[in-house]
Amino acid sequence: MTAPLHEPTAEAAPSAADEAALIAGSAEAKAVQGRSLGRIAWERLKRDKLALAGGMVVLVLILIALLAPVIANLVGQDPETHHEDLIDPLFSTPTGSFGGISGDHLFGVEPVSGRDIFARIIYGARISLLVGFLSALVAVVLGTILGVLAGYFGGWIDATVSRVMDGLLAFPQLLFIIALVSVMPNEMLGLTGTGVRLFVMILVIGFFGWPYVGRVVRGQTLSLREREYVEAARSLGAGRFYILFKELLPNLVAPIIVYTTMMIPTNILTEAALSFLGVGVKPPTASWGQMLSAAIDYYESDPMYMVIPGVAIFITVLSFNLFGDGVRDALDPKGSR
Amino acid sequence: MARGTAAGPRAVLAYLIRRLFAAAVMLVVIILVVFGIFFLVPRWAGVDPATMFVGKQADPAAIEAVRQKLGLADPIFAQVWEFFKGLFVGRTYSGGGDVTECAAPCFGYSFRNEQAIWPVLTDRFPVTLGLALGAAFLWLIFGVAAGVLSALKRGSLWDRGAMIIALGGVSLPIYFTGMLSLAIFSYGLGWIDGRYVPLSESFTGWLGGMILPWVTLAFLYAAMYARITRATMMEVLGEDYIRTARAKGLTEPVVIGKHAMRSTMTPILTMLGMDLGALIGGAILTETTFSLPGLGQAVLTAISDKDLPVILGVTLITSLAVIIANLLVDLLYAVIDPRVRLS
Amino acid sequence: MSTQRTTGRRKQAVAAAAVVAALLSTAACGGGNDDDGGGSKTGAAGFDAANNKVAQASLAKKGGTLKFAGAQDADSWDTTRGYYGFMWNFSRYYSRQLVTNKTAPGATGAEVTPDLAEKTAEISDDGKTYKYTLREGSTWEDGKPITSKDVKYGIERAWAQDVLSGGPIYLQQVLDPKKEYKGPYKDKSADKLGLKAIETPDDKTIIFKLPAANSDFEEMLALTSASPVRQDKDTKSKYGLKPFSSGPYKFQSYTPSKGIVLVRNTEWKASSDPVRKAYPDKITVDFFTNANDMDQRLIKGDYDLDIGQTGLSPQGRTTALKQHKANLDNPVSGYIRYAVFPQSVKPFDNEHCRKAVIYGADHESLQTARGGPVAGGDIGTNMLPPSVPGSEGQKYDPYELATANKNGNAAKAKEELKACGKPNGFKTTIAVRNNKPVEVATAESLQASLKKVGITVDIEQFDGAQTTGIIGSPSNVKKKGYGIIIMGWGPDFPSVQGYGLPLWSSDYILESGNNNFALIKDKTIDGLFDSYTKELDDTKKAAISTEINHKVMEGGYYLPFVFEKFINWRSNRLANVYTTDGYSGQYDFVNLGLKK
Repeated sequence: MTAPLHEPTAEAAPSAADEAALIAGSAEAKAVQGRSLGRIAWERLKRDKLALAGGMVVLVLILIALLAPVIANLVGQDPETHHEDLIDPLFSTPTGSFGGISGDHLFGVEPVSGRDIFARIIYGARISLLVGFLSALVAVVLGTILGVLAGYFGGWIDATVSRVMDGLLAFPQLLFIIALVSVMPNEMLGLTGTGVRLFVMILVIGFFGWPYVGRVVRGQTLSLREREYVEAARSLGAGRFYILFKELLPNLVAPIIVYTTMMIPTNILTEAALSFLGVGVKPPTASWGQMLSAAIDYYESDPMYMVIPGVAIFITVLSFNLFGDGVRDALDPKGSR
Repeated sequence: MARGTAAGPRAVLAYLIRRLFAAAVMLVVIILVVFGIFFLVPRWAGVDPATMFVGKQADPAAIEAVRQKLGLADPIFAQVWEFFKGLFVGRTYSGGGDVTECAAPCFGYSFRNEQAIWPVLTDRFPVTLGLALGAAFLWLIFGVAAGVLSALKRGSLWDRGAMIIALGGVSLPIYFTGMLSLAIFSYGLGWIDGRYVPLSESFTGWLGGMILPWVTLAFLYAAMYARITRATMMEVLGEDYIRTARAKGLTEPVVIGKHAMRSTMTPILTMLGMDLGALIGGAILTETTFSLPGLGQAVLTAISDKDLPVILGVTLITSLAVIIANLLVDLLYAVIDPRVRLS
Repeated sequence: MSTQRTTGRRKQAVAAAAVVAALLSTAACGGGNDDDGGGSKTGAAGFDAANNKVAQASLAKKGGTLKFAGAQDADSWDTTRGYYGFMWNFSRYYSRQLVTNKTAPGATGAEVTPDLAEKTAEISDDGKTYKYTLREGSTWEDGKPITSKDVKYGIERAWAQDVLSGGPIYLQQVLDPKKEYKGPYKDKSADKLGLKAIETPDDKTIIFKLPAANSDFEEMLALTSASPVRQDKDTKSKYGLKPFSSGPYKFQSYTPSKGIVLVRNTEWKASSDPVRKAYPDKITVDFFTNANDMDQRLIKGDYDLDIGQTGLSPQGRTTALKQHKANLDNPVSGYIRYAVFPQSVKPFDNEHCRKAVIYGADHESLQTARGGPVAGGDIGTNMLPPSVPGSEGQKYDPYELATANKNGNAAKAKEELKACGKPNGFKTTIAVRNNKPVEVATAESLQASLKKVGITVDIEQFDGAQTTGIIGSPSNVKKKGYGIIIMGWGPDFPSVQGYGLPLWSSDYILESGNNNFALIKDKTIDGLFDSYTKELDDTKKAAISTEINHKVMEGGYYLPFVFEKFINWRSNRLANVYTTDGYSGQYDFVNLGLKK
């Protein structure tokens, strides 16, 4: 039992020889990168079929969201018309089988109101993708910048940023959100109606989300900044910001991409919670998260109502993840593929 | 370990004192903000907070009386001061001929049902702690294992399958996976009852009540851990010192288990610190779905009922949990990776 | 290696199949439909068997544990402070009043019957003096007798609004309209019984002296807030955590939002109580935070009934209606769900614009949004609940909401719009509570149908916990432009006063905590309420109620949605079950029994 413990002492801190190899290795990798970073990444990405497929699906989803009115027109449905004649008045669920799926209503109709689910899904894509992606972006940008600064500079910058992150993590966000219900303006910065609400929602979700990214990035930076290649760059007289952006950031790409892609589904669901409380988009505007939360009351009597938005979110997350993985692999300075 | 001892016991102590001081400042700020939101926002919106605590027959005298009783008429700073004073030396509540002594640590009395908050917190804390620790244990084991395997067999069927299952976990809201698990294992198969039983009453009952919440919560978190582990592990495997280690003829389990894992631990630990800290303040959705009488349930009701003393109590506990968890993580950074200095 | 892998994969497939099978078997659970009218295989009494009639009275046995489940705790279990309907119902287990609701099904359950008093009041001819004599043998949980002074003290507590807020204040308004008494905690007299309007010449006699007659006074004395409280057991603001019992059960434990355990009060004597049967030995309440989970456990048989009595949620309702119909009752709740138009918000100052909305709405769609004819209720056609004397139900339908215009009448709506000077429609805002998904659904329905007649509405969800402060403040309503407010209201006691006074009387327009959302200032209506309170004859009282209802409807202040109905669950174990109008169509808790 003791043998393996004694054996690899060198690994806790790489030996001098290893260090030398390390410096040499990363310098080499950098040199390769330096020549044609973008090109190499693109070449690699092109070869990754799954990643490309993921990217294509993301594009298609965005197109669907943009063209929602056109598509809805094509199938002759809109997301706000009630079809109570398709609802069983006793159970409030669609009369047809599989949630009322028919030639007219491709994905069936909603319980209670009988609104067309297909139309609501494609219109809902606008809200869900926008909020899901942009708020993840806000969180990642804030989290990365502040996390790198805190991790690299340490001292009072780290102390301040870290305490703010702790504070935000511990803060009862729901209290803030419910308070927001009462003071939500109808106009703001030239935006009106749904625009204001989307803007506020993206900010709020992003704001409460950045500490999660921030702490991970800070932690990684803490361990990276003492790495030999960073020290080497430093001793060669590289400026702080050069080190930050050219040396550290590329090594943070992996966790950042993972975080971005993983935050999207959470944000889509958070949007639903906010809208439900009255901070988000106003009824009858559709969103995937809103449909999924409404479906809980019919989880057995109308399972299709849950399956459809659930699958929509799942496809989105899956394709973002596949694409994200591909991008990460392509950008990996040490990538062997 | 020579390099790891750069921070002597003295330095560590100084570091801890600095951290504790910063934490105290943070606590005060959070409590101030909570008070501020509670009192200023309704005023801004033109709503009198006192109206939330009178019945549907609210005559002006009653509203004024409630305002006085709950201290809503006092300036915010005075209220915050009273709150902290109560924590350390206790306080006396009096109003309308009703006098109550509240000994330290006094978290006050619920605006809604007048119960003392401190017993509520001590009663509910173990439930939430049990939930968070149990779930964390599961998601760490499954998430990290899945992540490592995925990284080693990247592109394989295993890798893709694990990813799809994990993403399923984050795509579905917890009330959904929770209801589904109840529908299958409790109402359907009847294997477990699924209702919460205190540990003090019956161990098996407690286990039966906690297993579904643990799995449901872990299912949500495991995805994140699996993905992060996979990504970091792949990064690390490309590092030269791993190549060196392999070249030196170390067996694969040693290379992965000791060397690669060590670097992979940093982000996992960071996340664990945050997630545990935040969850100990209450896993609101899980506790609501499974009717677990924990802190999350209490704070949810309190927020929708505007029961400020409960909100303050739970917020304090959450803050402490987050502070302690993150402090531990920062200390562990230095242990795992001796190059990291405490600052 | 390869064989191993196959086994692994096969195992996964088996596991997946097991999950699918489990899902399917859940969906088909029960299978057999146990509805066959009176008495089924499971022992359930049959659909609607306890609605306005007593089901399985003879099967009730002494003993057992009656198990309530609840999705929400009461506002307070303090008899002075509680205002939730189910709290009033449940409080009869541990509190008694001079008079209380009859323990009888349907409308009879809303009549008053003597409880602590030997008989109902001796009322003076001018209707200003009410005298009661207390029954022999009624005791507190420590065995001491309940005196007239305890009753007076219990009533006086309502005056201490600074400590005990939340409960109804009818007695205060009737006995001390000038608010001269400051409540028992500020009472300078030695016995703390300084309220002049109540006299207690001896321990058995209590006399109420009203400054002005009020024909509903005895109804107000039947409310839980008129329960006796013993001075030496009054823990003031903490009383609701452990009330001191005067009824057949006492609190063994209570943890807010977790649960309650009541056990027999051994000092209570059946001979002293003509009302309460006290069948079970023990009564428990467990609170859930997931209503869907709670419904499933009711259906499974883990619990006997829902303490909230507000009906099953959609999933549980569907399962129960399909598989356990014999366990359900479909009572009318006494609530009316409606939209109301504040006259301070333009263009609703013009009655034609109000009527345009009434005609433009699709009433059947609104009913569907409320849950349909069974779970939601019949289309509401006027503003007096069916359980209130003087109501005419759907027979009075001035706007033909349940008949000709049930899907909206666009032509009439346009006409009204023209008369209002807005031929092309207008824009307004619907205010709706954010914690009531069903109300949001009705707002969406209203929005969709009004769009067809040119009225564009924006739905604004406000914080439901702040209802009193947000829509209860007329200045705020005006500022925010809430032209349509979605609400519901039920009678505190079944009379036009107990229902409509706060909604329609100009005296009740308040700066904060207002319930007269429409801001009705109608001399005729005010005058009718005045004559109602002076009238002692029941038939004439009913006639006045009818008239008030008509005046309110003619003004077009309200768009009623439904006369609310619920689908409530009763377990196979329950016996002597019936719904009562005394508690808004809930089961009468106090006399529920178990079969074994």
